[in-house]
Amino acid sequence: MEQQHDKNSENILSLANNLRWDLGVNLHDAVVESIYEDASRIARKTVSSKGNKAAYNLERKIDQLVTSRWLGFPIMLLMLALVFWLTIAGANVPSGLLAALLLDTVHPALKSFAAAAGLPWWLDGVLIDGAYLAMAWVVAVMLPPMAIFFPLFTLLEDLGYLPRVAFNMDSLYRKAGAHGKQALTMSMGFGCNAAGVIAARVIDSPRERLIAIITNNFSLCNGRWPTQILIATIFIGGAAPAHWAGLVSAGAVVGIAVLGIGFSLAVSWALSRSVLKGEASAFSLELPPYRPPRIWQTLYTSLIDRTIFVLWRAIVFAIPAGVVIWLVANVHIGGQSLAEYFIRWADPIALLFGLNGVIFLAYIIAIPANEIVIPTVLMLTVVSAGLSGVGAGAGVMFELDSIGATEEVLRAGGWTLLTGVNLMLFSLLHNPCSTTIYTIYKETNSLKWTLVSTFLPIVLGLAICFFVTQLWLLTA
Amino acid sequence: MLMTAHPGITLLIGISGLLALAAAFWPQKGLLARIARGRLNTQRVLLEDALKFFFDCEYKNISCRLNSIAGSLHISADSATRLLSRLRSMGLIQLQEDSFRLTDAGRSYALRIIRVHRIWERYLADETSIGQMEWHGEADLKEHHLSLEAADQLAAQMGNPVFDPHGDPIPSARGELPAYTGQPLSALKEGDIARIIHIEDEPRAIYAQIVALGLYPGMQVYVMDITEERIQFAANGEECVLAPFFAANITVEKLSAREPIQQKAELLSSLKAGESATIKGLSANCRGQQRRRLMDLGIVPGAQITASFRSASGDPVAYRVLGTTIAIRKSQADNIFIERSDAKP
Amino acid sequence: MRDTHPCENCPVHHTENLIRLGIAMDRVDYVVALAGNPNTGKSTVFNNLTGLRQHTGNWPGKTVVRAEGGFSFNDKRYKVVDLPGTYSLLSTSTDEEVARDFILFGRPDVTVIVVDATRLERNLNLALQILEITDRAVLCLNLIDEARRHEIEVDERALSRELGIPVVPAEARQKIGMEQLIAKIEEVASGKYICRPHRVRNRSARLNHAIEQLSKRLSEQFPGLPNLNWVALRLLEGDQRIIDAVQSGELGKLGAGLLAAPTR
Repeated sequence: MEQQHDKNSENILSLANNLRWDLGVNLHDAVVESIYEDASRIARKTVSSKGNKAAYNLERKIDQLVTSRWLGFPIMLLMLALVFWLTIAGANVPSGLLAALLLDTVHPALKSFAAAAGLPWWLDGVLIDGAYLAMAWVVAVMLPPMAIFFPLFTLLEDLGYLPRVAFNMDSLYRKAGAHGKQALTMSMGFGCNAAGVIAARVIDSPRERLIAIITNNFSLCNGRWPTQILIATIFIGGAAPAHWAGLVSAGAVVGIAVLGIGFSLAVSWALSRSVLKGEASAFSLELPPYRPPRIWQTLYTSLIDRTIFVLWRAIVFAIPAGVVIWLVANVHIGGQSLAEYFIRWADPIALLFGLNGVIFLAYIIAIPANEIVIPTVLMLTVVSAGLSGVGAGAGVMFELDSIGATEEVLRAGGWTLLTGVNLMLFSLLHNPCSTTIYTIYKETNSLKWTLVSTFLPIVLGLAICFFVTQLWLLTA
Repeated sequence: MLMTAHPGITLLIGISGLLALAAAFWPQKGLLARIARGRLNTQRVLLEDALKFFFDCEYKNISCRLNSIAGSLHISADSATRLLSRLRSMGLIQLQEDSFRLTDAGRSYALRIIRVHRIWERYLADETSIGQMEWHGEADLKEHHLSLEAADQLAAQMGNPVFDPHGDPIPSARGELPAYTGQPLSALKEGDIARIIHIEDEPRAIYAQIVALGLYPGMQVYVMDITEERIQFAANGEECVLAPFFAANITVEKLSAREPIQQKAELLSSLKAGESATIKGLSANCRGQQRRRLMDLGIVPGAQITASFRSASGDPVAYRVLGTTIAIRKSQADNIFIERSDAKP
Repeated sequence: MRDTHPCENCPVHHTENLIRLGIAMDRVDYVVALAGNPNTGKSTVFNNLTGLRQHTGNWPGKTVVRAEGGFSFNDKRYKVVDLPGTYSLLSTSTDEEVARDFILFGRPDVTVIVVDATRLERNLNLALQILEITDRAVLCLNLIDEARRHEIEVDERALSRELGIPVVPAEARQKIGMEQLIAKIEEVASGKYICRPHRVRNRSARLNHAIEQLSKRLSEQFPGLPNLNWVALRLLEGDQRIIDAVQSGELGKLGAGLLAAPTR
């Protein structure tokens, strides 16, 4: 019975194969055409159009405006700038409130509760100063900007504007061997790289999707903007004449972001000519009609789909990292903490790249989120330089209210203008945060490409920092 | 701050480090790539290539001699003799009336290699954007180390293709292959209408010439004039001239009683904003997913299409088809044939 | 006979397949699949039916994951499965496979095809493909207001006659036409409305001959299969999923469920 079935099935398949050879190469075309023919016949019988094109004409007017040769790109930049401004300006207040609540109120309360409960100091440190603080920090700095950026982005998407952006940007990406929709994943990356990586799903071709995923990290994400602004203000603004300081430091930050875009195009180009060889394959994109978005639904769903999703992944990674951050500063061997050991050992190597051991260590242990890099750097600087009177103790991340005070700590840690420049470069060009790395793995399902996306930017970043530093020293 | 070395020296060390990395990892020319290629067992490659050659002779009913095999594999007559005796001792070929024939085992071995080769070519053509001049060479390497199972899997993903991009049938997983039906273009007579079913991809120089003329499988040819020196024909309406020696590398299948395509179709990319046309067809150069995607979006023969507007950078262009707006790159629009509708006021 | 429900009392047929496709099947009377092109307001219809808030953006390929929800009507419980929005079921992208597999192997009691009334011709491409696979479907003619604004009139009765399935005009954003849609879903699910789906016939003689040859062999091997021609055509297109189903005999089970009196 079973054998009979197998034999019959084999015969059917073999017959199918022979028929296919008879039918020739254009079978699929014929099948599709016959369906369309019927569809068209039915449509002719049932649809009558009076030919009033007024509604459609409005749509075309808008299209011609947003894709026009002179206004297309300015409108796009304006929209992007508006989204970023709303994100940064709008996130300030809620971020401050969350920080006041989670960091300045709940944290001390937990500490005093732990003290009252008689928790041993190390348990109190690991749990409250380590795990809780890292988690609270991530929530306070990540949640508000994401809760603003993602809905805005989703609104633009629902409105039908984003496909037009991909349409306008395609020629640039085509030259880099990539897909126009990469412009969108890149813009999304300015909010959060993990979300940008997920957004790469809209790209059909696996090759181009992979390019978009690997290069997404070159978009300066939300967590890195504050770092860039802080360092640019202190070191680059500080090096310029006082009345130019603001403009120069703002220019430096924008310059880094533009450099990131340049890198993402250059790396796309290089990838599409080497390991992911091939011409930019195909671009067929439906430009959907403009439809008014439903604001409340968008807010609700983008909050659930994107913000909470990404935040949850970040929190999951932040908690163990918080524990590690506290431990390296508090576990002592022979009178020195692990952090100090590492910093002393790494310092000479890091100096070759114009960085220092503190930065190296901070980027390793603050891998869950770029947002906690600066607090970790400050804490480690205080620990390693033996400063007193600043900070909240070993292993406790902190930030200072005034830029001046931050500058003092960093200068005391041996930072110079060169360190500042290199940190800005390295902040742009280093491994993605662990949330993004995990997301890349989930999306590509490949260890190899996850490793490439992780190490490619770090190698690139170290090389750039190295050459900048050495050339700087040569000419200085 | 302590600086151990002079920046100039460090820079030199850095640059040489970078160069060393590049030398090691450079695709194709790098050390690693060379080592990977070197590990290919050359003896097996030769053996498999020989089997493929025998199969090809058999398939096309050409007798197979020692010097032809030496020439085709680019080896000396001595090596060819050694190779043949090895094949015989392995029971893969036998001598039959002074020409070599494949044994059953040899035939199924050859079919396996051909299947892998053609599936890989199909894969390169449909799923990657590697240029068509490189398909054959890449598949020639790949056929020796891609396992049959991996090739089957690849085929399954692509919808089990039965033809390779040159128009050759792909042997089925059970080793079946349809009978050879074609004849060379050079054998046609004046006035014949035929369809190109295969373009031989070797020798490379001739293949490159044929490709450069824009010929591809599926094209309709109409022979206008044929002499000893040259054959003049229209391929999808466009006039071409080839020497018979070149035309022999094109296999065609005669079509009966059909109007030849006289005029070369216009391309969608020639449509200016606001102009309309009827789609006539898609070029065979538009393959795989790309072709399917375009058809799904309504780019099918008979559909009305209007160029709507250009993107800010000029390419891609948005077209209106079946009530939707679709953006297509110029390189794709070049593969879509149209006929302009009568100019409307 | 083709359209008779296997048995009036049993809840859903092919429960085991549905469970394998990841659908929780406890306490459900009917399964409704929601299919359609991207940008047709399919997710709005889904949200209206189920009261959930599922977001799908303006991009094809965005929801590879299926969304599920449910509603009850006249004491029957319906499970609604939102399939990925696709232009076609013939290509080999993941979302198309997900949608196709669900309609074929999941055998939903009703497939609601959501189409955009302003782009009917393009949308019919997918609708006709779905009708090749299943014969229990309802067409939801969405965005009817927008069509009216563009002065496009669709004759729903003629459309229903042509397609052989109920057609419900709707404007899902305004929640217009949803009651009627649910009523039609019930009629088709309960077998009150017997669909006579349009099947594509205008293929070349050579292709039709090939399909006939294959269908004949298929019907011997898998008696009772409702969409023989379509299966034959898929085999001619080398669809691996269908080849596997032939080899494993999975197709036979699909057919067996439709036979009034099981032979074995």
